[in-house]
Amino acid sequence: MALNLRQKQMNLIVRMLNLNQPPNPGGGISTAAGAEEVYKILIMDAFCRGVLSPLIHVNDLRKHGITLFFPIDKSRQTVPDVPAIYFVRPTPENIDHIAADAARGLYESFHLNFSSSLPRPLLETLALKTLEKDAVHRISKIYDQYLEFVTLEDSLFSLAQPKTYVQINDPSAGDREIEEIVEKIVSGLFCVLATLGVVPVIRCARGGPAEMVASALDSRIRDHLVIKNNLFSESGGLASSFQRPILCIFDRNFELAVGIQHDWSYRPLVHDVLGMKLNRVTMPAEKSAAKSYELDDSDSFWFSNSWSPFQKVAEEIENQLSKYKQDIDEVNKRTGGKDGVEFDGTDLIGNTKHLMNAVNSLPELTERKKMIDKHTNIATVLLGEIKERSLDGYCNLENDMLTKGSVDKSQLLSLLKGKGTKVDKLRLSITYLLSLETTPQSEVEAIEAALRETEVDTCAFQYVKKIKSLNASLAASASSASRSNIVDWAEKLYGQSISAVTAGMKNLLSGGRQLALTRTVEALMEGKPNPEVDSYLVFDPRVPRSGSGSQLRGPFKEAIVFMIGGGNYVEYRSLMELAQRSQPVKHVIYGTTEVLNGVEFVEQLTELGQKMGLGSSGVGPSQQGV
Amino acid sequence: MLGLRELKLKLFRWLYREIKGNTSLNLKKSKLAAILASFIMHKPPQGSLFTKAALKTLKSIIELEHFIVKPRKDYVDLHRITEQERDNIEHEVGFFVKACKDQIDILKNRIHDEEKNGNSKTWLHIRDDTYADMVAHKHGVILILSEQLHSVTTQFDRLRSMRFQDAINRAMPKRKMHRIPDSKSFEASKPEFTELGEQVLPSGPMKVQDQLLDDETRALQVELTSLLDAVQETETNMVEMPALNHLMSTHVL
Repeated sequence: MALNLRQKQMNLIVRMLNLNQPPNPGGGISTAAGAEEVYKILIMDAFCRGVLSPLIHVNDLRKHGITLFFPIDKSRQTVPDVPAIYFVRPTPENIDHIAADAARGLYESFHLNFSSSLPRPLLETLALKTLEKDAVHRISKIYDQYLEFVTLEDSLFSLAQPKTYVQINDPSAGDREIEEIVEKIVSGLFCVLATLGVVPVIRCARGGPAEMVASALDSRIRDHLVIKNNLFSESGGLASSFQRPILCIFDRNFELAVGIQHDWSYRPLVHDVLGMKLNRVTMPAEKSAAKSYELDDSDSFWFSNSWSPFQKVAEEIENQLSKYKQDIDEVNKRTGGKDGVEFDGTDLIGNTKHLMNAVNSLPELTERKKMIDKHTNIATVLLGEIKERSLDGYCNLENDMLTKGSVDKSQLLSLLKGKGTKVDKLRLSITYLLSLETTPQSEVEAIEAALRETEVDTCAFQYVKKIKSLNASLAASASSASRSNIVDWAEKLYGQSISAVTAGMKNLLSGGRQLALTRTVEALMEGKPNPEVDSYLVFDPRVPRSGSGSQLRGPFKEAIVFMIGGGNYVEYRSLMELAQRSQPVKHVIYGTTEVLNGVEFVEQLTELGQKMGLGSSGVGPSQQGV
Repeated sequence: MLGLRELKLKLFRWLYREIKGNTSLNLKKSKLAAILASFIMHKPPQGSLFTKAALKTLKSIIELEHFIVKPRKDYVDLHRITEQERDNIEHEVGFFVKACKDQIDILKNRIHDEEKNGNSKTWLHIRDDTYADMVAHKHGVILILSEQLHSVTTQFDRLRSMRFQDAINRAMPKRKMHRIPDSKSFEASKPEFTELGEQVLPSGPMKVQDQLLDDETRALQVELTSLLDAVQETETNMVEMPALNHLMSTHVL
């Protein structure tokens, strides 16, 4: 029962585009012809457009009979006698738009699909408005789709909830704000579980946002399981842990270094340097218009090489190019002007045959050439940036620091004073803070001086320093984390993360250090007693609350790992590797509130530092508020 | 089914309660009842002329697809049907495709007709740009139809290219095979010739006639063989031409 999130989401979307009618088993063109309503218009809001874009291209929309698609907030005109499919989030603004459209009679019938559950008050608003304008007869169907998440790959999803890290760790955030954020995350996670159709066993660390999310999610699922034909009835009755997955919820503070460091593999490099959004990269353009490429599993080069280190990728591109040239030469030889061969009957026949073969293979050759060009362009831009910012130096030094736990001070300072953008230097300094247990004040001051020289905004650096110092001074206290006390949170969480990082450093695998996240997930999936994870809480929505608690501790064949506050491709790869090297092969899905590269994450740290008043412009200790 | 709720039922119940009790809405009860009735009896959508025509074209394209798919096994397999029948199928398919294409063109022209009609009402309260989306939608419908037609014809082209491939494969070995026996028979006849020639003198005048006959036969044989070669060549040329034609039409144009 391999969980393929992308396939399931795709199936639901295709069904929605076919007006939620069961598909004709005949397949092909005849699928759509049964119904009268063959040609439809699709209306989406920005979020749902993002949900659709990694899954379906515009041309494929036409295959399902969608002639046009529009954003919901732009003014549109009447297209009579055509059904309209709305795929939007259940917000008051969208309800207003829908009611207005219905009142104007823009389309023949309205099929409303909401990306998550439509709350009762909004439903009543919709009903009221359409009744007033005498437009209720236009509303044909209303569905809750539970699709409010973006699936970037088969096993990678994002809730596309920006700035969650800042909001959760904001010192000025009150109870209500935190609860709202938790509610949003729970809603997104619920959609993912509903699409997969599984009720997992939830495990998380004590205290902090992870526990809040886990317990709220548990309640939500319990409430839902009471309904008779609920979304999870398919997997009902699976009592053994071998068939239910485990959902591990983590908070970003558990392991900060991963979100910041520079990585040397192709995919994280592209994400970091070029900024990949929804599987698309836009190339910086100087003369011509900016080109944007799509990078997903359908690109075979990307599929096989995206986790390789950069040098290997460059070699691979060279190989592919020379192979392509060889093939082209061969085709030319066989069909082009031949000098030494006599022109008689036999050869004419052979000629035609070769011509046919050549022409048949031309489209494939063109595709290959396009792919090679695409990756050559990307690699060239990357190489330029790497040289300019000496990214290889940063990668190596950060990796050394994190794996060995010690720093070559002179190298560090020389990099800080040398090449690289301001954010690169900031990231290096923060990695330094995170990789050493104790940082001598003199070193820290030297680093800060170097940063100030290059006019780097050190808010983020100060923030991490503050968190680390708070943790150190309160390390002994064992008070339970109360929700309102953000400082307690930070210290509780950071206490775990420090130990996690140091432990991680001691576990060297070939080729690099193992992430604390991966180690913890492995331990949770195995279910054997392990000092690191024994304190983790267990929530099992299928077990009655009053009972003795779930006995399901593992082993689990499948896992869903969720990171609150921002995940990235390095973590994703680490989890994929874990899944593949397990005996027997396991299956892991990785999800997060949003996918961030190092630059974006440091931005959020900077914002937090500013909120805490830790400006870099020589702010005295008296002004540092908490 | 993943349990999608139809919220209309909720709406229905809520409205029903509103009608029964004191309604907070400014609508007459009769009106509410009419709305409830419309929930129960769903009117089928009435398409415009354009949509109806488009649906008809769609049905024709589906028929075309079925027509191609059905004899596919026969068409591809070498020995099931004759070349003549294959030609017939191709001819009919070509005809059908042209008919579908004509229908699509008619639809395309109709968009612009309706647009013109819309323009004539400009001086009334209907503005020009209110029809832009509708026109775009119709163009979208035509695009979908042409894409479907294209995919069906591509299917058929693939079958045709397989047929040409087979034909060429068959022609090639034939030429090779026929050459060798020809030359063999040619060479075989030569030694006989010389043998006979040597025996001419002793056999005397009676054998001269036989020899003349033999010579003639030989000469005829040679001529026949060369004619056969020429015919073979022309045949293969004939096979090639439609193959090349097919190539040009599908890939170059």
